[in-house]
Amino acid sequence: MDVSQYLEIFIDESAEHLQTLSDCIMSLENEPDNKDTINEVFRAAHSLKGMAGTMGFKRMQHLTHDMENVFQEVRSDKIAVDSAMIDLLFKCLDALDQYLENVKSSSDEGTEDNEIIIKELNDFIAKANGEAPAAAAPAAEAPAAAPAEEKSEGPEKKFLHLELDDSETAAIEDARKSGNKVYGFTVYIHPECLLKAARAFLVFRAVEDFGQIIVYRPSSQDIEDEKFEFDFSFYVSTNEELDAIVAAAKDVSEISEVVAEEITELPAKEEKPVEAAPAAPAASATPAAPAPVKKDDKKAPAKKDAKPVTNRTVRVDIEKLDALMNQVSELIIAKNSLVSISSQDGGSSSNQGFHEQIEYLERITTNLHESVMKVRMVPIESVVNKFPRMIRDLSRTLGKKMELTMTGEDTELDRTVVDQIGDPLQHLLRNSADHGLETAEVRKERGKPEIGHIFLNAYQEGNNVIIQVGDDGNGIDTEAVKNKAIERGIITAEQAESMSQKEIVNLLFMPSFSMAKKITDISGRGVGLDVVKSGIEALGGDVETRTKLGEGTTFTVRLPLTLAIIQALMVEIRDEKYAIALGSISNIENIPVTDIKYVQAQEVIHLRGSVIPLVRLDKVLDIEPQDDPENLTVVIVKRGDSQAGLVVDNLIGQQEIVIKSLGKYINGNKLISGATILGDGEIAMIIDTNTLI
Amino acid sequence: MADTSLEIAEMNTKQYIVVQIGSEKYGIDIGYIDNIVRMQKITRVPKAQSYFKGVINLRGEVVAVMSIRKKMGLEEDVFTDKSRIIILKLEEKGLLGIIVDEVCEVVTLSDDQIEPPATGPKKGKDSFINGIGKNGDTLISLFEVSAIVEEKEEK
Repeated sequence: MDVSQYLEIFIDESAEHLQTLSDCIMSLENEPDNKDTINEVFRAAHSLKGMAGTMGFKRMQHLTHDMENVFQEVRSDKIAVDSAMIDLLFKCLDALDQYLENVKSSSDEGTEDNEIIIKELNDFIAKANGEAPAAAAPAAEAPAAAPAEEKSEGPEKKFLHLELDDSETAAIEDARKSGNKVYGFTVYIHPECLLKAARAFLVFRAVEDFGQIIVYRPSSQDIEDEKFEFDFSFYVSTNEELDAIVAAAKDVSEISEVVAEEITELPAKEEKPVEAAPAAPAASATPAAPAPVKKDDKKAPAKKDAKPVTNRTVRVDIEKLDALMNQVSELIIAKNSLVSISSQDGGSSSNQGFHEQIEYLERITTNLHESVMKVRMVPIESVVNKFPRMIRDLSRTLGKKMELTMTGEDTELDRTVVDQIGDPLQHLLRNSADHGLETAEVRKERGKPEIGHIFLNAYQEGNNVIIQVGDDGNGIDTEAVKNKAIERGIITAEQAESMSQKEIVNLLFMPSFSMAKKITDISGRGVGLDVVKSGIEALGGDVETRTKLGEGTTFTVRLPLTLAIIQALMVEIRDEKYAIALGSISNIENIPVTDIKYVQAQEVIHLRGSVIPLVRLDKVLDIEPQDDPENLTVVIVKRGDSQAGLVVDNLIGQQEIVIKSLGKYINGNKLISGATILGDGEIAMIIDTNTLI
Repeated sequence: MADTSLEIAEMNTKQYIVVQIGSEKYGIDIGYIDNIVRMQKITRVPKAQSYFKGVINLRGEVVAVMSIRKKMGLEEDVFTDKSRIIILKLEEKGLLGIIVDEVCEVVTLSDDQIEPPATGPKKGKDSFINGIGKNGDTLISLFEVSAIVEEKEEK
């Protein structure tokens, strides 16, 4: 079977399953007895095994198979979850990750057999079976859905015990009235079968040649989604002979048993408990439960019903979305040019309809842009949910106790940003774990809780997303940083004297500046915060640091929601037009020239209690200077806590602009972050105000 | 027979667009050319390399425009009715406009009409040229397009 076309789906879904496994195993560590979690783990491992098998990745299949065996034992209460086991399971996950990486890069799983891990897994099972023969006896009675147990009981005629809802009963009655016979079937699929749903489908197709299937257990949707163990039941309304149908069903490969007989009276109707009607579909919705034979089976799955049904989604290549975004950009440029034409003719009354339509068009394009943007938005969850595991591992390697709390994992960002934000965040977290947190002894001395606290909080603020990463550890020792910088020759002792705390902290973001006293695996290789900073700046964001010696450090990462289209204020300086991102503007002021003061030979204005440095944009942008008018128009821009006042000649107004790159030829230009095409076809430069503050 | 000789002839000829820059004629390999547009408003890019005039709006794309005169160390451009912007398309870096005084013609030169560039004392300027084409009486300096694009330390 050629499976290459499924490779991408396989990679995506395997990654999801691995993530589920990792999450569940993490939570198992805290509550080893949680049956729901164990079931979830089992399911994920099982799906993973099935998929790997289908794709022909034998080693991956083998490893997951053995993992699944361990979970099987856990599920039947033969082994208790302990930390040695958790460690081993994480090792398995890493090995599986590696397989997946290999598949990604070469479409092949590689040749590593991971025999050691497999052996350890088997040791676990052997230990469990050797030690706990007594425990095995009650386990066999328990409703655990081990296929072996079911087999030993012989093929049960489960269709006799189905609970029918009213419409189904009616369908059976109808069938009888029209002279057809109704047969009940229970089909057992071979336990090794990988594509159960496909087999079930083949059985249905074979049977439907003879008559109509009127009742499915589990429901046909669940069967399609492979939400069943190794058997399913159905009723057929037909006028053919039973034997012929059974033979046809048995003809489908990997079907181990088919049992059937005619239904003469409606089963289970009189013994149907009152609450059974709602419970039955709930039970069939979970693959863990076999067809609802026993009542106590129903309780647990009924709780699961709260879980959302799989979303209806379409996987779309990100390139197609990029193309769509480009089209929307073009549309907005075209719309802007219509807007500028309509405003040129001065709003004469004869054109009122035209103006209304233009406004309508504006609304539509803005909405369209927002929708497309939303399509491209994904929660940062996919990136941050690997962090708890990482912190756990770090806690082991560093020998420090620490815990990670995360909030706002559902905060959404543009896909491109999310794809690239992982490394910087990971770096900041490692930094917190390694440099930030003190050892347990020091923490005790300082009267802090023994377990170090690391946090990651994400939330949206206007057109930005803020991600705060920090710890309650030692904080940054600015004196030490200063000395290190002097030692490295980055600054002179005199410079150090006049530096503010903030400037000193910013030294940490200089290339190849590492504070680690010794180089560890975790950090301190000299590629450090500078990489974080450049990574985040490349995405149009910035990082801010807040630290207090002895109390902790917080890094605040600010990222733009979207990269391609922004709201901007258009300004004029002489005859040139420039755009300033609206998100960075705090207010606009009219300042009399006489209000300008000087601090350290730098022009400043004193505005509502804060002193704001003035930036003469004409000077910065190499435009011919002119004499000051009486009043200056000053655009106050902010970056975190800092502000600056940009002096411009004229304000044109607010506009939605499409950011275009200047191309690869013009370079060395940090001040201009891009260009945009205006309604009249003219080009305006976009000023990156972050470089001016 | 006739066919094969024609093929050989095709393999060894190249088409060039001949442009006037100052008093000289230059040839640009037609394979690099995406488009030729009339002079239009060029928007200055502050702090860019000095030989970049700015950017233009080429049907919705922002394209950088270079003054080839400045890059070669000639006197400032004078824009006339005949001035054109030649849009080059390069594999890795995309579109680039260069300003020329006039577009004259398209010529087909075969290998035997091209001579290696004269190695004189004026090396700096010659490095943009990879050959001299002879079309009848006129001499055409053939641009090495990759050299035009290449970034050089500014003095």
